[in-house]
Amino acid sequence: MTHLPPDNPPAPLPPDGPAAPPGGAGRLPWTERDTVWHRLHPLSPLVRAGRHLVTIGTLVLVLFFANRKGTGSDLVVNLILVALVLAGGVVSWLVTRWQVADGVLRIETGLVRRQSLRFPLSQVQAIDVVQTGLARVLGLGELRLRMAGADSSGGRLASLPLADAERLRQHLLSMARAPGSLATRAAAVTAPGVVSAGQEPGARDEPRDSGNPGDDRRPGDSRKPSTGVEPGDGGEPGRLIFRVRSRRLAAAIALSRPGVIAAAGIAAMIAVAMLNRQPGVFASLLPLAVGVVLAVWRQFNSDYGATVVVAADGLRLRSGLVQMTAETIRPGRVQAVRLVEPLAWRALGWCRLEVDVAGPRQRRENRSESRRLRALIPVGSRADAEQMISELLTTRPAPSRLPPRSARWKAPLTYHFLAWGSDDRYVVASRGRVCRKTTWVPLEKVQSVRWVQGPLQRKLGLASVRLDVAGKRVTASIQDRGTDEAGEILRWLPGLASDARTRHQAA
Amino acid sequence: MSRGERTGETTPAPPPPSADSGFPAGARDADIRWQRPSPRLLRARRIQAGLVTGPIALLAGLLLGVAASPVAGLGTGLGLVAAGVVAERFLARRVAAWGYAERNDDLMVRRGVMIRRESVIPYGRMQFIDVTAGPVERSLGLATLRMHTAAAASDARIPGLERAEAGKLRDNLAALGETQATGL
Repeated sequence: MTHLPPDNPPAPLPPDGPAAPPGGAGRLPWTERDTVWHRLHPLSPLVRAGRHLVTIGTLVLVLFFANRKGTGSDLVVNLILVALVLAGGVVSWLVTRWQVADGVLRIETGLVRRQSLRFPLSQVQAIDVVQTGLARVLGLGELRLRMAGADSSGGRLASLPLADAERLRQHLLSMARAPGSLATRAAAVTAPGVVSAGQEPGARDEPRDSGNPGDDRRPGDSRKPSTGVEPGDGGEPGRLIFRVRSRRLAAAIALSRPGVIAAAGIAAMIAVAMLNRQPGVFASLLPLAVGVVLAVWRQFNSDYGATVVVAADGLRLRSGLVQMTAETIRPGRVQAVRLVEPLAWRALGWCRLEVDVAGPRQRRENRSESRRLRALIPVGSRADAEQMISELLTTRPAPSRLPPRSARWKAPLTYHFLAWGSDDRYVVASRGRVCRKTTWVPLEKVQSVRWVQGPLQRKLGLASVRLDVAGKRVTASIQDRGTDEAGEILRWLPGLASDARTRHQAA
Repeated sequence: MSRGERTGETTPAPPPPSADSGFPAGARDADIRWQRPSPRLLRARRIQAGLVTGPIALLAGLLLGVAASPVAGLGTGLGLVAAGVVAERFLARRVAAWGYAERNDDLMVRRGVMIRRESVIPYGRMQFIDVTAGPVERSLGLATLRMHTAAAASDARIPGLERAEAGKLRDNLAALGETQATGL
């Protein structure tokens, strides 16, 4: 990667770059001199503490009630606790600074253990803007960089003013497209009009919403934040291809596994309480109930109002009820596409479409969020999924090759869904017991091919072939094929994948 | 080193895995030149198994002998040692199952007796290689080479390589990875 010195004359714009504002007006602080260090927003400690607010609140309450007999001193202890957390945030804010220079985002942080992080933008897989509830009230947003490494965490800038975060994201994304090119840096600066539009409630939202008859937002939706800015909008318009229906989402979650577990759990609790006639049972089961309800709520919160927009810089996803998330999946970064059809949803013709993008396996916070794949379609009709798939894949092989009869003995419960198929671009494999999962993997993304045979499979003359991709946890598994067929796949797939890679690089 | 060489003389090199080893076979498999880890890997594995089994058996035996009855303690200790000996029987087969082959575009690794695995990892997919050697391996002049790809599930580990061989293989793979590298 070569970096042009900052004072190079701007090269002509690349055709796919965002339209530059006439006259190149609206230069941002971070493009003026590339060596300037920036601070995060002064309110970020508050937002950071807000993330733990529920925990702290519970702790304080517990402490308060536990030592209710003692007086004043406990309150002081509690206050000190809160103050400590806040002070920690302030210190971390004080020692954190960031810089964009020569196609690299640098973040320096840490008081005791000083960290200097470098994120080469050409390696960025995706950049998200995330807003927690408190951050939305304060008009702040968090920028998250996702790198490819399987266990390294990405960079985080928490928090920036939302408009700044948006522009910085556009800027970084454009730099990621053409590393080191000054022209794209200048082009990334959005027009001043767009910047100020951030302060006008819904100014950028309306045109797109009105053009969509399938809009299912509740009237008078309180979702529209007081700050008026929703993260994730770039300067350029895109083509909206999917918007989740809120009512369907609620129904779908109720019918999904966590929903059913929650319902069953609550029913069991009520039944136990009725039988015992002792409210004490309730109290003992309460933590469990809170956990389940939280899980369901988190799902609803993260999937609510999900939209997918196709734009030049990739697929723009936005979703969230309280915590807003916006992310852009750059073209060619999708490692796998997975179609999930749970039993109850299948009856209603619904499905879920997920994509896997290379990134850290687990983030420290929001662990539950990163454990799941990114859902492009949290719940949608088959037609929605078909459209999205055709947007993601150029050809679409169907899982048509069925497993040999002997596989029935090894996998009696999954046999009916086992199948695979391929063409010269993709491999598709489906499996699942009651929930059918179909995974497409582009051949040029295959990291390694594994052939596995367990003792039972050997008895039955079966073997499985797994295709690993650089995602979080997707492995396309061609499960339980005849030994000959599996061996053949193992000998033949690496060559096919290598051809696909060569073709991909040439293009 | 002298100890290792002695072991190398006493243990004849195992024959290369044949076609009916239970691993998949293809039409052009004659081109694949399978290589084996050092025969001293078995010795390393035996030492490791002994180092685990011995203290555990001793500790469990002593604890039970003091707490319950000496008979129970002796029984437990001997039982655990017997379990170690049984495990040792499997070690030889497991060690013999390891194999790797450097092909033009990819590395192949096979292993396992109960669960057989064969992986194909293109050189271009390599993110980094590490060579590690634990205390037992080090004392026998062995090393384990692991090739990492961007997929966490990729399984490319070759244990029990001669240290010089491991270094050579590492350099070889690194060079091949560099020339064939592809983006994610």
